[in-house]
Amino acid sequence: MSDTNGAHGDAGATAASTDASLNARVKTPHRRPWGWIVLAAVAAVAIVVGVVVGVTRSGGDRAAGASDTVTIGLKLAPTNLDIRNQSGSALDQILIGNVYEGLVARDENNQVVPALASSWEESADGLTYTFHLNENMTFSNGDVLDAEDVVWSIRDLVDNQYHDASSLANFESIAATDANTVELRLSAPNSNLLWALTGRCGLVLDRDADYDAQTEAVGSGPYLVSDFRANDSITLTANPDYWGGHQAKTPTVVVRYFADDNAAVNALASGDVQVLAPISDSLADQFRENEERYTVKAGDGTDKYVLAFNSAGEHTADIRIRQAIRCAINHDEIIASRGGTDAALGGPIPSLDPGYEDLTDVYPYDLDRARALMAEAGYSQDNPLTLRLEYANTYGTELGDQLRSQLREIGIDLDVEVVEFSTWLQDVYTNRDYDLSLVDHNESHDFYQWADPDYYYNYDSPEVQDLYARALAATDDAERDALLARAARIVSQDAAADWLFNYRVTSAWDNGVEGFPVNLNQTQLPLWDVTYTA
Amino acid sequence: MMARFGAIVSSLWRRAGGRFSLVVLGLWVLVSLVSLVWTPQPLWRTDGYDVWAAPSAEHWLGTDGTGADIVSWLMAGSRTDLLIVILTVLFAGALGLLLIAAMTARNSVLANTSVVAVDALISVPTILIALILAVPLGASVAVIVVACGFGYGLNLARVARPQALLVARSAYVESAVSNGASGVRVLFGHIVPNILPVLLVQLSLSAGTAVLAESGLTYLGVGVPSGTPSWGHSLATTVRFITVYPLTVLWPGLVVTVVVVALNLFGDALRDAVDPVGNPALRRVAVEETEA
Repeated sequence: MSDTNGAHGDAGATAASTDASLNARVKTPHRRPWGWIVLAAVAAVAIVVGVVVGVTRSGGDRAAGASDTVTIGLKLAPTNLDIRNQSGSALDQILIGNVYEGLVARDENNQVVPALASSWEESADGLTYTFHLNENMTFSNGDVLDAEDVVWSIRDLVDNQYHDASSLANFESIAATDANTVELRLSAPNSNLLWALTGRCGLVLDRDADYDAQTEAVGSGPYLVSDFRANDSITLTANPDYWGGHQAKTPTVVVRYFADDNAAVNALASGDVQVLAPISDSLADQFRENEERYTVKAGDGTDKYVLAFNSAGEHTADIRIRQAIRCAINHDEIIASRGGTDAALGGPIPSLDPGYEDLTDVYPYDLDRARALMAEAGYSQDNPLTLRLEYANTYGTELGDQLRSQLREIGIDLDVEVVEFSTWLQDVYTNRDYDLSLVDHNESHDFYQWADPDYYYNYDSPEVQDLYARALAATDDAERDALLARAARIVSQDAAADWLFNYRVTSAWDNGVEGFPVNLNQTQLPLWDVTYTA
Repeated sequence: MMARFGAIVSSLWRRAGGRFSLVVLGLWVLVSLVSLVWTPQPLWRTDGYDVWAAPSAEHWLGTDGTGADIVSWLMAGSRTDLLIVILTVLFAGALGLLLIAAMTARNSVLANTSVVAVDALISVPTILIALILAVPLGASVAVIVVACGFGYGLNLARVARPQALLVARSAYVESAVSNGASGVRVLFGHIVPNILPVLLVQLSLSAGTAVLAESGLTYLGVGVPSGTPSWGHSLATTVRFITVYPLTVLWPGLVVTVVVVALNLFGDALRDAVDPVGNPALRRVAVEETEA
């Protein structure tokens, strides 16, 4: 290997600039002031080159101390950074808590915790919320963040009906009572309000900042977006003037997006990324076995794999058929085939949401009971009922194959159609032309689906609708949780759907990485605490 | 006629490539037929507790990600692929002959337009046709058959045209036409027998490519629908895990490779076997037939 071929570009560049700066220094005493400018320019170049070289090298073999850069591999990439208009959880994941901050935030157990507001009170009638803001807050551009910004942000959201504005149900008004106090009024109680404010609708933006929201982001969080490449990567650098307690521990976080699972796994194995979330469970074994280098962990989440039954369908309107299907599905077997990390789920509310109860005993796996129910409805293995299962191809063909195999045992011939997402949207979601469908409903606090007779489930239970309305109006969390739990039990008993499992996201990281959130990391991914020591 | 057939088969059998392809293709047909009545495990059976199992007495080649038996799915897949290959070859052959007839027509307007049309259409990628067809049809066997049949039919016509044109403009065809032979009669009585070797090679190449296309299109989600066994289905469901369970990808990959090689060798061997110049046995039969 010869150094003269120019292959070692950075070495050559360093040498050249060193020579230049030495020459410049030799000349300075004898020159007029413009010589200083030359010297300054050369020095600036030398520093920039030095920094660039230093940064590119720091990912490698620094012996002690935390690395300056952590590279994280994620899956779903945002197409632009416009958090007001662009839908998709990929944006929430990367921007909320890192670049933008809300009035309140959620912790790893999906509970509401202070953020820009250090505390809050709720009036006894549940109609007025008073938020006390932290003092001396600033945006990353230096602008002061106070109650006026909070009021403007939420009014702007509601006036323009930006994305997610609908979750501020019953919003009436918001006003600043002083520089650090905000009062939000509702027309009727909304027990979901605080949690809703941990998402997009609670974000506080700088009204005076002038930036292109598609490619830039100006917020008050611990990180700045220094580089954004659509569908490829985002580079976050620490906000040097961050006001709060979540000061970034790592100066640069690079987030790379891998649509292909194998490419992602290769990137982790080769050290291109230090963290991968999610990692396909079947591909994680090579990292599980290498405990000295990697940690592999599954986190809790709110992804519910819902096998929806069309409650107004020709055959699925018959509750006996729906009950039979629920009894015939061996959830443990499906979970085992996926690697055993997912959790069984017997109803519409996952463990991290309010109103959760273990409902797996409502319809336990029982083939005899399932066959008896089918016989009552007039079907058997010799006289099978044909049902169509249509779902989007993002979920793979395996689940359809397994369900067909399991339901065959009770006399249901499952005709599985795995289609493009747009076809699914048209057939199932819009036209409700389906018997069974399969969707990963990953949203948290989404019980409203079961209280909305116009949702694609066609599930219409006045009792559930009433319970949900009362839960929303509840002014006390325990009361809300109890009402939701009752409603969830009814939905489960009515066999409005089957919940195949609660998908738990598996993440894998190099053992040098600390502070990476495991729970709920596909919806919000606060990175300030992440460090990497090579 | 039987004697001719026997002479061709025995000539095929004497060639190494021909023998290999005859054995593989024979097995293919046999396995397809057997899979209609028997597979080692019921096709629909899955077992979540026994996924990605290594080969065993129960599962000869192991199981896939749903715990389904790989051998059974490959066996059942062979009949889907056989059906696709037969339909594609028939479609390509019919389209090819139609275009050859048009391109060698005595009507020069028809002949010239069809030449230009074939040259233009041949530049449309088969995969693009398949993706467009999948919009109305969804994932289905018809997408593969029509897209491949269309592409290979055009190709066949273009490759066979020079030879077909020589025949069509030959003195004996001129005399047949002046004796009142119809266009159809000329096509099947004179042109087809003369370009038969080219046709056979092209169609067997098409058959091999159709097997590959089935795998590729099914992987893209526009080929064989989910739940229908096919080699492409077996590949598509396992290829994501190639780094972890390489064996499960190897089996369908091996089957596809062996069959495609066999189809290509079959075409070559068949061309030699049906060509009286290369096959003395065939000349003998021809002499005997004329004497009889």
